[in-house]
Amino acid sequence: MIGSRPARIWALVAEQAAVRGGRVSAADACVAAVTAVEVTGAWLIAARGAEAGHVMRVTDEVSGLLAELQMTLGEGPGPDAAASGGPVLASDLDDGEAVRRWPVFAPAARQAGASAVFVFPLRIGVIRAGVMGLYRKRPGPLSDSHLGDALVFADTATLLLLEAQDQAAGEAAAGSGPGGQPADLALHRAEIDQATGMLTEQLGVDITAAFTRLRAYAYAHDRALSDLARDIVARRIRLHPDPGPRQDGQI
Amino acid sequence: MDGELLSETFVELTDTLVVGFDVIDFLHVLTDRSVQLLDVSAAGLLLADPRGELRVVAASSEAARLLELFQLQNDQGPCLDCFRTGQTVQATDLAAEVQRWPRFAPAACRAGFAAVQALPMRLREQVIGALNLFRADAGALAPADIRVGQALADVATISLLHERSMRHSDTLNEQLQTALNSRVIIEQAKGKLAERLGVDMDQAFTLLRDRARVSNRRLSDLARAFVDGTEAVTGLAASRPQQRLPADGKPRQQPRPGPRPRS
Repeated sequence: MIGSRPARIWALVAEQAAVRGGRVSAADACVAAVTAVEVTGAWLIAARGAEAGHVMRVTDEVSGLLAELQMTLGEGPGPDAAASGGPVLASDLDDGEAVRRWPVFAPAARQAGASAVFVFPLRIGVIRAGVMGLYRKRPGPLSDSHLGDALVFADTATLLLLEAQDQAAGEAAAGSGPGGQPADLALHRAEIDQATGMLTEQLGVDITAAFTRLRAYAYAHDRALSDLARDIVARRIRLHPDPGPRQDGQI
Repeated sequence: MDGELLSETFVELTDTLVVGFDVIDFLHVLTDRSVQLLDVSAAGLLLADPRGELRVVAASSEAARLLELFQLQNDQGPCLDCFRTGQTVQATDLAAEVQRWPRFAPAACRAGFAAVQALPMRLREQVIGALNLFRADAGALAPADIRVGQALADVATISLLHERSMRHSDTLNEQLQTALNSRVIIEQAKGKLAERLGVDMDQAFTLLRDRARVSNRRLSDLARAFVDGTEAVTGLAASRPQQRLPADGKPRQQPRPGPRPRS
């Protein structure tokens, strides 16, 4: 069913936050993914732009080792995922390809107790928010259903990390739907992506800041992100550089 | 039908083991060549995302891309029927198909399309997506064109799945997700370029793609460099005179793409 997976996964992430007793954060997505995707452990690295970032959450000792190892070595599925922009799914660290690809990381990860590692870059096009990694003690690929869930956990973590960055920068909590759920970007995403690209020019800012402004404007004007994006793409609305967003023309 | 271009296309669509293979570029070849070889005016392609959704991955024009997206947003249309059944779906006169697709049929007519043929991308039981061929004039696609269109879709499907079995069981999923992120980057780049030059999204896409061809680069690499600001846009602006968006806001007719430089 279209649309049901993001809602189900959001419920799991929100439940994890409730158990912890805090506001929903990307770390909750990382923790909730472990049970849902049936992996042994997970780690989450938060990073803004091209920086290496910092380890935000690990669910066990091995996850921590795997995260540190890759950041130290600059080698492994994590750095590869960051470079390619797509996930790296290493379902057996003992196989020849994994060892050839990561001659230092693969044996070290095996020794630490991981046989399979799945890494998901947290990004929206050129916008980067970090990396989420999962590992299993046993080798073997993720099933289609687990892969689908893992991708949606990664999407959720991406939006939560970007929101946290916005808040740290003093922007309003933007882009959230009812109940704090991040907007479901899937079906309207091309217009949102195009509008974000347009705002880089209108506002003279980078793409991450443009996406922040888009969401802040939608929040401030109580509009769905996709509707606002459509108006921007159709050139019915222009945003202006500070002192603040202003609206030209009619909707 | 251009026999030489046809053979060239089959070579291109089996050429997936080359270094730097890129799913987005590969699927754009499929949509572009469909328009060049068959009696159709536009082509769009949907692939299944493991998240459980279909995604628009390639289209020969912005009008075709929007129409594919429209099908997804309204959960209705020939490409979806084709994907769900794994069977080809044909509508020779969309004006008469309002009952079958109450929302899609009028939208397709408004976009200037009168007939559609959807072909499954399928290998045995596995359906990975669907190719939509749009015609400006009512009437059935010639049987020879349908056969060639299906053959192109088949070869592309086999090449993508073959990639997976040849290299690594995880490779196709990695590449598909990378392609979906590339698609986002391309949309971000289209927006930035459209705003900078005052052109519409279709023109922005054509400019980006022409530039990628001329410089023999992957479209997604060029788009990323442009959005990152590491690649100046001056060359892109100079490659075509500035055009303002027409007052009616309608996309212009997209010129047929030329042959792609072989690497």
